[in-house]
Amino acid sequence: MILPRFDVLVPDSVEEACAMLAEHADEGVRLLAGGTDLLVELRRPIIPQHVPRCDGCQEHPSGGIRTTIECASPESGALMPSGGSLRTSITAAKKASPAYLISLHKLRNLKGVERLPGGDIRIGALTTVSEIERSSDIRRHWTALAEGADHLGSPLVRNRGTIGGNIANARPAADLAVPTIGLGATLTLESRSGTRSIPASEFPRGPGLSVIKPDEILTEIRYPAPLPYSASAYYKLANRKALEISTVGVAVYLALESPNGPVTDVRVALGAVGPTPILAESVRDILIGKIPDETLFSSAAEAALREARPIDDHRGSAWYRTQMVELLTRRLLQIVINRIQDDQ
Amino acid sequence: MKKLISLTVNGIKHELAVEPRRTLLEVLREDLGLTGTKKGCGIGDCGACTVLLEGVATFSCLTLAIQADGCSIETVEGLAEGGRLNRLQQEFVNHGAVQCGFCTPGMLMTATELLRRNKHPDEKEIRRAISGNLCRCTGYQKIVEAIQAAGEKET
Amino acid sequence: MKKHRILNTRAPRIDAADKVTGKAVYTDDLRRPCMLHAAILHSPLAHARILNIDTSRARSLPGVIDVVTSQEAGIRPYGVSPARHDETIFCHDKVRYVGDEIAAVAAVDLDTALEAVSLIKVDFEELPIILDGLTAMNDGQPQLHEIYKNNICAEVHWQFGDVEKGRRESSIIRTDRMISKMQDAAFMEPQSVLAETDARGHLTMWSSTQAPHYVQRTLAMALDLPLHKVRVIKPAVGGGFGPKASCSTAELVTCLLALRTGQPVKLTFDREQVFLHSRARHQFFHTMTTGVRNDGTLAFLEHNCILDGGAYASFGIATVYYSGSLLGGPYRLKNMNYDGYRVVTNKPACGAQRGHGAVIARALFEVQLDRLAEELGMDPIELRLKNVMEAGETTCNELYVSSFGMREALEAVRDSAAWKKKRARDGQIRRDGKGIGAACGFFVSGAGYPIYRSRTYHCTVVTKLDEVGGGVTVSSGAADIGQGSDTVLAMITAEELGLNLEDVRVQSGDSSLSVDLGAYSSRTTLMTGHACREAAQDVKQQILEAISGCLGVPPETLDLKDNRLISLAGEIDFSALREEYLKEHKGFASLPETAHLTFAEAGRIAFLERGTIVGTGKYKPPPLGGSFKGATVGTSPAYGCSAQIAEVSVDLQTGEITVQNITGAHDCGYAINVTQVEGQMQGSMMMGMGEALMEQIIYDSEGRIVNANLAEYKIPTALDMPHLRTIIVESNEPAGPYGAKEVGEGAIMPVIPALMNAIYDATGVRIEELPLTPERLVAALKAGRHQKSSI
Repeated sequence: MILPRFDVLVPDSVEEACAMLAEHADEGVRLLAGGTDLLVELRRPIIPQHVPRCDGCQEHPSGGIRTTIECASPESGALMPSGGSLRTSITAAKKASPAYLISLHKLRNLKGVERLPGGDIRIGALTTVSEIERSSDIRRHWTALAEGADHLGSPLVRNRGTIGGNIANARPAADLAVPTIGLGATLTLESRSGTRSIPASEFPRGPGLSVIKPDEILTEIRYPAPLPYSASAYYKLANRKALEISTVGVAVYLALESPNGPVTDVRVALGAVGPTPILAESVRDILIGKIPDETLFSSAAEAALREARPIDDHRGSAWYRTQMVELLTRRLLQIVINRIQDDQ
Repeated sequence: MKKLISLTVNGIKHELAVEPRRTLLEVLREDLGLTGTKKGCGIGDCGACTVLLEGVATFSCLTLAIQADGCSIETVEGLAEGGRLNRLQQEFVNHGAVQCGFCTPGMLMTATELLRRNKHPDEKEIRRAISGNLCRCTGYQKIVEAIQAAGEKET
Repeated sequence: MKKHRILNTRAPRIDAADKVTGKAVYTDDLRRPCMLHAAILHSPLAHARILNIDTSRARSLPGVIDVVTSQEAGIRPYGVSPARHDETIFCHDKVRYVGDEIAAVAAVDLDTALEAVSLIKVDFEELPIILDGLTAMNDGQPQLHEIYKNNICAEVHWQFGDVEKGRRESSIIRTDRMISKMQDAAFMEPQSVLAETDARGHLTMWSSTQAPHYVQRTLAMALDLPLHKVRVIKPAVGGGFGPKASCSTAELVTCLLALRTGQPVKLTFDREQVFLHSRARHQFFHTMTTGVRNDGTLAFLEHNCILDGGAYASFGIATVYYSGSLLGGPYRLKNMNYDGYRVVTNKPACGAQRGHGAVIARALFEVQLDRLAEELGMDPIELRLKNVMEAGETTCNELYVSSFGMREALEAVRDSAAWKKKRARDGQIRRDGKGIGAACGFFVSGAGYPIYRSRTYHCTVVTKLDEVGGGVTVSSGAADIGQGSDTVLAMITAEELGLNLEDVRVQSGDSSLSVDLGAYSSRTTLMTGHACREAAQDVKQQILEAISGCLGVPPETLDLKDNRLISLAGEIDFSALREEYLKEHKGFASLPETAHLTFAEAGRIAFLERGTIVGTGKYKPPPLGGSFKGATVGTSPAYGCSAQIAEVSVDLQTGEITVQNITGAHDCGYAINVTQVEGQMQGSMMMGMGEALMEQIIYDSEGRIVNANLAEYKIPTALDMPHLRTIIVESNEPAGPYGAKEVGEGAIMPVIPALMNAIYDATGVRIEELPLTPERLVAALKAGRHQKSSI
């Protein structure tokens, strides 16, 4: 593939990165972490975009539909027709072909997994998926995240891809973003004007869209300390056993008052069944305060199903995905209960 | 505008002026003439471009050369020891793990990282480690057997 | 005692060391001074009339050296088959699929070339598109080509034996259907071309091709060049599997630009372009009605097939024949009708891919056999064993199987996979998520006739003895695309001359070295193997005659073995020859001191006696097949055959399928290189498994490929592939060199049906549409025992 022309800036600190983001916002600037998403997104298309000619065009007066290959690449200076659904906005053009990439590879302080005094865990945004996969602490206490890492892409993608990139890209099927929401994590966003923290579940707004401001960088993700008698799990349903984007992804977190006691906390996060990962809030109402059993889990799974909004696409139909949300939620709730009870 | 970077490839340091958008794969193949690393897809789906970047198996097609500035890179050309095939390469030859050979350099680099981390991987671990390296010729069987044999021979 | 010294061993490939060190040179690795880069303008529309092409802005971009369209390229039609020349280098009146080539640019670097391509303006008039192969033939549909009425590019209508009689004799008759999707060969190396001319008008083109010979001919014809001034060289190739067996626009364009600019020009496909070019697996819509007698013998087959082959004919005229003809075996079937239609639609053109036209047909037939077995209450393998052909028999469509280890292969897998134990449930299927299934198949070992009408030899080989003695160079146009043909030629030569493998050099894949039709239809081992053996024997004969002259003994009393010249009739005094050799090599270390004359010495003396010694070999099959229309397709000097058993486990609720193992037995006649035969079997299993479970090209309503990349076009990864067990059966083919015949394509035949039969055993549902994805399985399970396809 050939990439469009851009300049690459390499900040030495988060502050410098934020300053660069603010400074070049008007010219188009993107953050480059692992590159496994961004560089693929930026590549030039092989098939030119075809664009219908404007109405009332004088050049070809005789009847019939005319279309013209006009290069949609802003670099060529080709003109865009006015009106019609194929209009490409200036913003989208800048996102597709930024003047600057800010490569974060020198920001070592954004890498690493650190257990905090209160028992929370802090993961730097530039921590790679492989590093998460290999952390025994994460596997033990935030298992859903480790399982998301296990099945993300392939070992090569995991070596390069970062948790920050996976979350910031705001794709509904993202294998770290879904368990991150399921585990009730908090994201820290930094900019020149300061720092803010938001729940991971409030971050994504649509496919590729999030609440992140143009001058903000996601710096770290914090997962709450594991409660006693709690466990989590993540299942990725896909067609083959590696290199897949999930057809459906489900993360479940459950906490009990005691090994056989009632549910004190639960979160079910669904991936690839909506424009964003979905935190199925209605599941809480069904499970909190109750002793878990099969019937209860069935009701919870049905509640999750009702919150899913899948579409038909080439990976799967809405029909299949809906069924699988129900099935996987039910299965994972049982798996998580088993994990809690096996732990004792 | 080109940027000056320094890449240490197979132990040799190179100073290069590269356009920011050039990938590590392009620089290795075109600027350094190291054509052993292959381009199968250019977008990180096949693993043919795998190199070791600071010892980590990495897509060179999705790594900008600038991101590798100051780093050490190992490619397939650096595996042989004193002109002789190393143990892993020899097992690939012996086991018939090579047919068209296009996936082979990537496979070798991924396997090299694996064997450094895990001296005696079992079949499951090997299959998982190479799951990002696609091969259309072999069905993976003989590749797995070769890597396993290379692991066993380590004392 | 072993029959041969080098043959039938696990000799390492002669090119393996180069491939594991990164030294092997593939086309994109090549660079030439002052090389230009080419880029192609592909159509964004599936069907449209071209009104105007404006290249002015492209031409004036700095760094652009040349821009070409059909104006410059001409519109001389070409194609794979002389009977279907329906392509031109560039579209001139219409574009017929998204990806169809309209123009090209040569520039100083790739970026400039791509930039220039994006500046070419084309005005189109959109035309209605046809994407559905099933309705393409209907009256009133948009026509893609003037020459293909009702979008039918080729059709076949065969009647063998007496199907009606077979119908009357049948106690059970079933009609079953199967639909597949267009698929891709997904070789790891995208096509790449480098073309260069010299001042005397000689054109050399390096290309990632399977068939230098056919490509050479098409280049010469389409570009109007004298054939002898066109040279096609295949460097190392990263897989072919069929789509690389014919001349592509990329090759024509690159050569055209090289001729016009006088500079070397390179073009390497992006992975997306590999999908756009396709020339891969057709889409098939099969309907088969088969009858069995109550003793389990097959009574008749009525077969109808529509092949959707995309926008151009490519290999399609042969494909539609293969679909029908290769059901004549491997079972005894006296009565067979076939009606096949190869249609065109506004999608990338399909061509020949491993198993060429017969893969999905075989899948349906083998699934149908299982269904017939179930109705009969017979074990599926027993039903097959009841019907298999034996060596020496001829199919109803006049395909003669001179060797045929089908029974042996089937019994071998049955025993190796513990079939009887695993199926011991009174013939009931399991339906508990675990299943086992079996299937057979067979394929040609080289097409009986070349693609163009000619009595040409299918291959020749030239083997030259080193004048200095010691080794030989084998020159052949044969194309090693990863299957290991170079190693086979080296092994045959080493065997015949008593040499070590390392003393045989092979140069191949170059149209100027010899004639070879290329690597397709699984022909190289049998055909080029023959020619190679002949050439080696020719060299040997000349050496022995030369030495016999020196020694005064008859040449029949001498032989070459184990790197030496030996006497078969008592001791010989070769001291004079030794003395001459030592005198010639005064000062050299490592001089021969052995009690026998070395090959090096014999070769050197032979040169001194006779001058340069060159041996030649050649091969073409005898006339084969019947005299009915299309009889040639499916003919072959020999047929390989294959049986496989697959075991699966299925999650009955998610539909996820895990293949636990595949056991395969393939009759390759005689395994010249055991490791390579196993490798071809394993590779076939992987490709078949991918096609069964996950591979499909997906189009949107505009005819654009939705999944033109290796993330969304899914081929099995190492985690998907199970353990593969391979058994080699050697039936000793009389028409093959040393008894050898094919393995490259026959081994893919049983994979899909073995898996489908295993999945039925595991789930109790049959699915008629490939690929068999988890969703399709879940839908079938929910709908009940059987899901009908949408036809």
